[in-house]
Amino acid sequence: MLPNLSELKDEEIVTMVCAKDKEIYAEIIRRYQARLIRYATYIIGDEHIAHDVVQDGFIKAYINLKGFNINKKFSSWIYRIVHNEAVNVINKNKKQVVWDNNFDITGTGSLEEGFIKAEIIKRTHGCLEQMPLIYKDPTTLYFLEEKSYEEISDILRIPVSTVGTRISRAKVLLKNICQKNK
Amino acid sequence: MSKKQIVPLDSIEEVVMDKVKSQKIAMKPKWYFTLGSLFVIAGFTGLLFGSVFLTNITLFLLRSHGPMGEWRLQQMLNSFPLWVPGLAVISTVLGVWLLKKYDFSYKRNFWLVIAGLVFSIILVAFVLENLGVNNIWLRKEHIRRFYQQINRSSPALEVSGRGRTQKFFR
Repeated sequence: MLPNLSELKDEEIVTMVCAKDKEIYAEIIRRYQARLIRYATYIIGDEHIAHDVVQDGFIKAYINLKGFNINKKFSSWIYRIVHNEAVNVINKNKKQVVWDNNFDITGTGSLEEGFIKAEIIKRTHGCLEQMPLIYKDPTTLYFLEEKSYEEISDILRIPVSTVGTRISRAKVLLKNICQKNK
Repeated sequence: MSKKQIVPLDSIEEVVMDKVKSQKIAMKPKWYFTLGSLFVIAGFTGLLFGSVFLTNITLFLLRSHGPMGEWRLQQMLNSFPLWVPGLAVISTVLGVWLLKKYDFSYKRNFWLVIAGLVFSIILVAFVLENLGVNNIWLRKEHIRRFYQQINRSSPALEVSGRGRTQKFFR
């Protein structure tokens, strides 16, 4: 009998997918789909392209699943794949894609809180868009995806100290851009 | 990417799982990744040894030009087999490129790792040269032939005499 999937860690599910049942991979998709689309949208600036990127990311992750080291964090690994896919798309298109202001944000607080948060995020989107990718990427992961410095280091493959430096520079940059936009 | 059909939010799971179930996509086997890692390690080790060997030969060739080397600089520049240090540099660059593929490389300051690697290669080559490893190798027939080949164009180095070679270089 299968255990309750929602109680299992990502790494345990990956082990099961590799060893027993491929269909359990759907659980991984359910867990990460929304988060990864949000992340890819922040990076690329287009929700539809982000969908494509995430789908390709899940396919690539499945193909390479046996190459994943289960002693490491699965979330960093899958974010890394989507990050690479997103960067490839950006490099392919070169010109930045139009930002989608109608992007939906799911809030957990009250309606007012949700509205304020959505407004802040919407404004931040505009400022973020103008930032270079090297600052936009760690800022998104830290503030919007709530990843730790260690996790960001694993996703972007840069030293933890560089993550810290980029985030603190990004804060200054973001402040300047947002003030200019007022 | 833009030519692709736009995927609705809730269909990602459907599309991916459909490909999984219909076996349009399959997981690469474990041995594929093991073999890949082994190739990277073997490649890196090979390039590292190659770099040390070629740097060592470069140092050896520089020494073989003997005293008053500056005076004979023009002659040396004309005759020096530049492909040896060139190949040493290429091996090192390839080694660094492979090193970047290792998981640990991004956790350290990569410039420091590169500096350490280059310094180690030069140091080991220098130690080998000073321990007289080249002179020991020169006593071996097939290696001597190799040394002669790379120095064919260099009149400053002649490695024909078995017993006299060491005296000539020292």
